[in-house]
Amino acid sequence: MFSTRTALTPSLIVIVGFLTVCPVVMLVLGSFSEGIGAFGKFTLEKYIQSYTDPAFAGIIVNTVIFTIGSGFVATLLALFLAYLNTRTNIPFKFLFRIISIIPMMIPHILFSVSWVLLLNPSNGMINLLLKQIFNLENSPFNIYTLGGMILVEGLLDLPIAYLILAPAMAAFDVSLEESSKVSGASNLRTLTRVTLPVLRPAILASFILVIVRSLASFAVPSIIGMPGRIYVLATHIYRIIATGFAADYGMAAAVGMSALAASIALIYLYRYLTSESEKYVTISSRGYRPSLIELKKAKYPLFAIVGLLSFVLIVLPVLVLFYTSLVPYSMVPDARAFSMMNWKHWLDVLKDPISLLSLKNSVFLGIVGATLGVILSIFVSYVIVKVRTRAAGLLESISFLSFSFPGIVIGVGFMWFFVRTPLYATIWSLLIGYIATYLPYGIRPLTSAFIQIHSHLEESSRVCGGGTLYTLRRIVIPLLIPGVVSGWILMATMFVRELTLSVVLSRPGTEVLAVQILRFAEDGLWGKLSALGIMMICISTIIVVIASLIGMKMTRVQETD
Amino acid sequence: MEIRIKSVSKDFFSEGKTIKALSDIDLAIPANQIFTLLGPSGCGKTTLLRCIVGLETPDSGEIAIGEEIVYSKEKNIFVPPEKRGLSMVFQTYAIWPHMTVFDNVAYPLQTRKEAKDEIRSKVEKTLRFVQLEGLENRPATKLSGGQQQRVALARALVPEPKVILFDEPLSNLDAKLREETRKELRSFLTELKITAVYVTHDRIEALSLSDAIAVMKDGQMVEIGTPKKIYFDSDHRFVADFIGRANLINGKVIAFEDSYTVVDSSMGTIACQKNPHASVGDAVTLCIRPEFIKVMEQHTSEDRNIFRGKVESLLFIGDAYEGEVIIADTRLIIRIEPTTIVEEGDEVSLSFDPDHCFLLSK
Repeated sequence: MFSTRTALTPSLIVIVGFLTVCPVVMLVLGSFSEGIGAFGKFTLEKYIQSYTDPAFAGIIVNTVIFTIGSGFVATLLALFLAYLNTRTNIPFKFLFRIISIIPMMIPHILFSVSWVLLLNPSNGMINLLLKQIFNLENSPFNIYTLGGMILVEGLLDLPIAYLILAPAMAAFDVSLEESSKVSGASNLRTLTRVTLPVLRPAILASFILVIVRSLASFAVPSIIGMPGRIYVLATHIYRIIATGFAADYGMAAAVGMSALAASIALIYLYRYLTSESEKYVTISSRGYRPSLIELKKAKYPLFAIVGLLSFVLIVLPVLVLFYTSLVPYSMVPDARAFSMMNWKHWLDVLKDPISLLSLKNSVFLGIVGATLGVILSIFVSYVIVKVRTRAAGLLESISFLSFSFPGIVIGVGFMWFFVRTPLYATIWSLLIGYIATYLPYGIRPLTSAFIQIHSHLEESSRVCGGGTLYTLRRIVIPLLIPGVVSGWILMATMFVRELTLSVVLSRPGTEVLAVQILRFAEDGLWGKLSALGIMMICISTIIVVIASLIGMKMTRVQETD
Repeated sequence: MEIRIKSVSKDFFSEGKTIKALSDIDLAIPANQIFTLLGPSGCGKTTLLRCIVGLETPDSGEIAIGEEIVYSKEKNIFVPPEKRGLSMVFQTYAIWPHMTVFDNVAYPLQTRKEAKDEIRSKVEKTLRFVQLEGLENRPATKLSGGQQQRVALARALVPEPKVILFDEPLSNLDAKLREETRKELRSFLTELKITAVYVTHDRIEALSLSDAIAVMKDGQMVEIGTPKKIYFDSDHRFVADFIGRANLINGKVIAFEDSYTVVDSSMGTIACQKNPHASVGDAVTLCIRPEFIKVMEQHTSEDRNIFRGKVESLLFIGDAYEGEVIIADTRLIIRIEPTTIVEEGDEVSLSFDPDHCFLLSK
């Protein structure tokens, strides 16, 4: 028992270390190598080549504008929503929970596509509609711009920003504001001198995290940016390895290094800010409910904005995709369009061997990958929570290492590794890459499950006469199930929709859903794309529902046992 | 059942430092008594309890419960907790959140694979005993703190153990509930005639619950005795100070009279309890509890232990005043009846019975 326990931490460090450190090391080494076939031959040529490229400065400028712009859009919207939810008497507060959770269920690539279908300049539905109504020559909107990218990315990252800001806002001690007003300060002065400064660490943390996410984002830059020839770091790397005559993984690695460096710096800043914001939160008194602000006349107009946002975030993308999958080509939804609706695109997809292969591969990766990932997460979380030695601390930091690194950069790092192994171009290379990159999604819910199992709960079972195995069966496992289920669901949905890592690692024969959707988008096959996209959402939903049912069943059996 | 502990030691290692949690503890806990391990946090009381129940393994020594040796370094014996047949109530209650009240209480019987009807009737009987009948099918986490505490107690009682161990079971209850539960617990345990080992850092709890108290400090046993012996007649400065408010006065033995020892101190000559261990010229510490010091309304013929001093501060605490009186250089804490007319800055005469003033030998 003791020997297995002591061997557990080192072996996990080896496994997780391989998964997360390997791609980073390979990326660094690769960036200094002459080429994917000449690994280890030192050269600075790739750096010189990529950073002296005259187009590179423009790409950096685009990246900065894109990420900071998305940061502003997401944070401001989230601030607005969080304030309305926690501090005012706005009706239907359950909507806010939905806004913060559901958009995560819709794959980013499909969300981006739905905006292209609405606002692209040649046949975007809204553009067509406006041209028809006002007899316009040109389309009033063009999604293929930096502004369009910022809008869509900002909306995609809104839930993340909201999840950071809402708890901070809820924990805000209103007596801080009240004492400012009692001291004679006006409302505006209170807002600028008390409220915003106290919330500043949380606001900055949300801003930084959105920047990190949009730096790693590939869906929006590829679907919206590339058709408008607006390249950011992620799509620049993609262009280096996926288009042109020869893929240059050395140059991709060299460019990737700057994305990696930026991510690491931002994550450090983020951690610093969150520890700062926790410092502030401790000031507030526990169990204190701030008094709600009466919105009066503004109540329903404000609610209309919230309703519109939830419609745009949740209903509209699915609606647009479903509609597009049924009509023969892009058209304004009118009587003619409805009369022409048919299932042709769905049948085409179901007859397309590559689409079917990608479906099969993604479902396999989702189920098998999530299962393996959760098993690994159980062991890692156990060590992080219960063993708590210095080695366990090391394990924790390497587990979260790759969390916010841009997936495409991790993909390039893995590419340098897999090319040297028989795993190259197999589904297993994708599986390993997925687990490595999304391990924190499994670890987070499981560590909280383990934290919930206070050592007294096990000890008490031992004293009551339950042996080690009996205790494991009746106490530990039942208490872990909710964490296992949510970890599994998170990983499975992430894997079914995975795009950024897959665009690098996927090869003929190992196509996955999101990559196939990207191909359809590149070819402008919107109907087929939409059909496949709706199938993808359905598969994710079915997986989630089945997993939750199994989880519920397993916990219920325990209760009546 | 009697518990015997022979020269048990245990070290903990933390951040490169060795902490002696228990050093060479010898203790005999008599059968069918409520025995309390009392001490400040970190004194080793919980570690000792966990060694008895088997959740912690000592580094050396021997532990026997009744006739059975459950741990012995020499004989290489370690009986795991599930085989020791003890019950324990944890500080956190350790109620399993995924089970109902019934399942929580039935658990110890289920581990022994008793018959279902048997289990049901025993659980129902125990729940009635702790006044939780009717709550069987509630999820255990939906109960109040006090009710959860009763579930934990019921779970400990249901297998009818010979020994129950308590690890600060009342520390998570609020003050009023704690008082009530203390009283109930005392009556449950005396009614059932079980050996109970009770760990606490709360002196009132220890005094009111126990048949005997063992005071611990830094992993060592300091003093063992009945609550009254510990409170009124302790031998140790640490114990006298820990168990209640105390005025500790340094002095020197100058004479013995028929029934008193006379001690010279900075506040004057004090007559106190006779102590056979002291001899003339010894430096000693006196202990006098605040509640035994009286403010004299008028002069009496009594001439022993009368001191004049000035009231330095006066704090009204409801059932009494707590005052500080300066006599020469010595500051005495006293407890004054709330009806007494005294004000800060008053000169007062104080007196106390020599029998209530005792010498601390260690």
